[in-house]
Amino acid sequence: MEADVKAMKYSSRKEYFLLSFEYDEKDKVEPGQFFRLKTPTGPYIARPYSVYDFEDGVLTFLIKSGGEFEEHLKTSKKIIFDGPLGNAIPSLDNPLLIAGGVGYAPLHFYAKRNKSHLIVGSKDEELFNLVDIPPASVYTVEPTTALDVAKHSPTTNIIACGPIKMLSRAKEMFRDRNLFLILEEKMACGRGMCEGCAVMTSDGVKFVCKDGPTFSAKEVNLNWRN
Amino acid sequence: MEKLKIEVAGIEFKNPIVIASGPAGFGDEFFKYVSPSTIGGFTTKTVTPQPKDGNPPPRLVYTKGGLLNSIGLQNPGVDTFVREVAPNLPKETVRIISIGGENAQDFLEVGQKVEEFADMIEINLSCPNVREGGTISSNEKLSSEILFACSYSLSKPLIAKLSPDGDILKQAEVALKNGIKIVNVGNSLQGAKFNINDGKPFLKRVVGGLSGPALLPITLWKVYQVKAMFPQLEIIGLGGVNNPKDVLECAIAGASLVSMGTHAMIDPEGIDDFILKTEKLLEERKVSFKELVGCSHRGGYR
Repeated sequence: MEADVKAMKYSSRKEYFLLSFEYDEKDKVEPGQFFRLKTPTGPYIARPYSVYDFEDGVLTFLIKSGGEFEEHLKTSKKIIFDGPLGNAIPSLDNPLLIAGGVGYAPLHFYAKRNKSHLIVGSKDEELFNLVDIPPASVYTVEPTTALDVAKHSPTTNIIACGPIKMLSRAKEMFRDRNLFLILEEKMACGRGMCEGCAVMTSDGVKFVCKDGPTFSAKEVNLNWRN
Repeated sequence: MEKLKIEVAGIEFKNPIVIASGPAGFGDEFFKYVSPSTIGGFTTKTVTPQPKDGNPPPRLVYTKGGLLNSIGLQNPGVDTFVREVAPNLPKETVRIISIGGENAQDFLEVGQKVEEFADMIEINLSCPNVREGGTISSNEKLSSEILFACSYSLSKPLIAKLSPDGDILKQAEVALKNGIKIVNVGNSLQGAKFNINDGKPFLKRVVGGLSGPALLPITLWKVYQVKAMFPQLEIIGLGGVNNPKDVLECAIAGASLVSMGTHAMIDPEGIDDFILKTEKLLEERKVSFKELVGCSHRGGYR
């Protein structure tokens, strides 16, 4: 499917941007799902991005600058998209959401639709000049990480999304909690055909696109990757 | 669709478009988007004697105009394949089962177990992502043993899948000498990418297989060379095909069938239209696909 770029809003130093376009299938997009995006001129392989927001028929994605997709967006104002793909984040009772960097995207969307507590961490403050943070949330800039804040929480249900090192640490830190991890991998088809986005689980190799992107932390073996 | 029909090794293809081994898996997801009655043939992922988890991630690296992969032949092993996958392969398209292994015995074991479910068997000699020390096709003695054993013992038409990284004429000669009548030219091209932030390769095995549109001229040249040297071989052209015009070019260079991998995977919904446009191109030129095969060796359109 195709759409015109509705808005492309950069952070102050252009490290991140929010990309929006209209999408009329209102009821079908759930937090945790992703779309594959490219422009008519490229990149050749569409890139997968989690939905940051979907409101009033407008989809928004939080993207780190510097990729090939962004290069094409400088000259093309049309988006070719495919989605929603992947599964929704499970509904949990009042979970703690822990986000690192652009891993905030799916948790922002989740927090808008579900009662939850949110902690967002970033390498620099710039991310927070761009994204909106729900009231009563905590945000922190390195060297204090989201996990440094989250470790004091007694909450049972936790969902984390961010860099793989952060997820490995969360798994170790919250091993006795009901922890879910939203994983990221390079994808080509986004539908479970190419087997590019493999993750090792207690039930053998699964795929981030088709079986995830959200997995129970108890199920996944993140060491297979490292 | 008359203009697209072609017969290869006694097998009728309704059109020359064959889905390549790998990117479309075993078809369970792919055929949710593509009707098997549309495509000429479907090649399964390569099946090995034992199950393989494949390579640990990252398995993909994006490149300009292409994709570098290191999947590593993930598959459930031949026994599970025969029990759970092979019986469900759609009969509305030519079923090509790709087989792999380390030696002739492995290939024979898999070949004999899958043969009843296959219309053709592809002998994968050229996966860039599994063996230390290079592809099987880079080892003439090993390739010969495997091809001879398969030719001697299997009864379905056999395809030798060659590598674009080695001497393609030598590989084709080895195939021909060992009784093979169809060659696939070829696999993904070996490549690597490095991370400028940590000084390491992106892929754990360093090397991966490059696919994508930039490969097309390489494929065309290799198809042309093989057809010129061994006109008796039937050739499947694979590598870089992403446009209906590419199908015609492959045929002109000498390919009897044209295979698509990455493009079919990233745009499965577009395959119906792709085939219709291929036929339209033939109609506009008042030629059939069969007439095009190898016509550059005969002075072009006559």
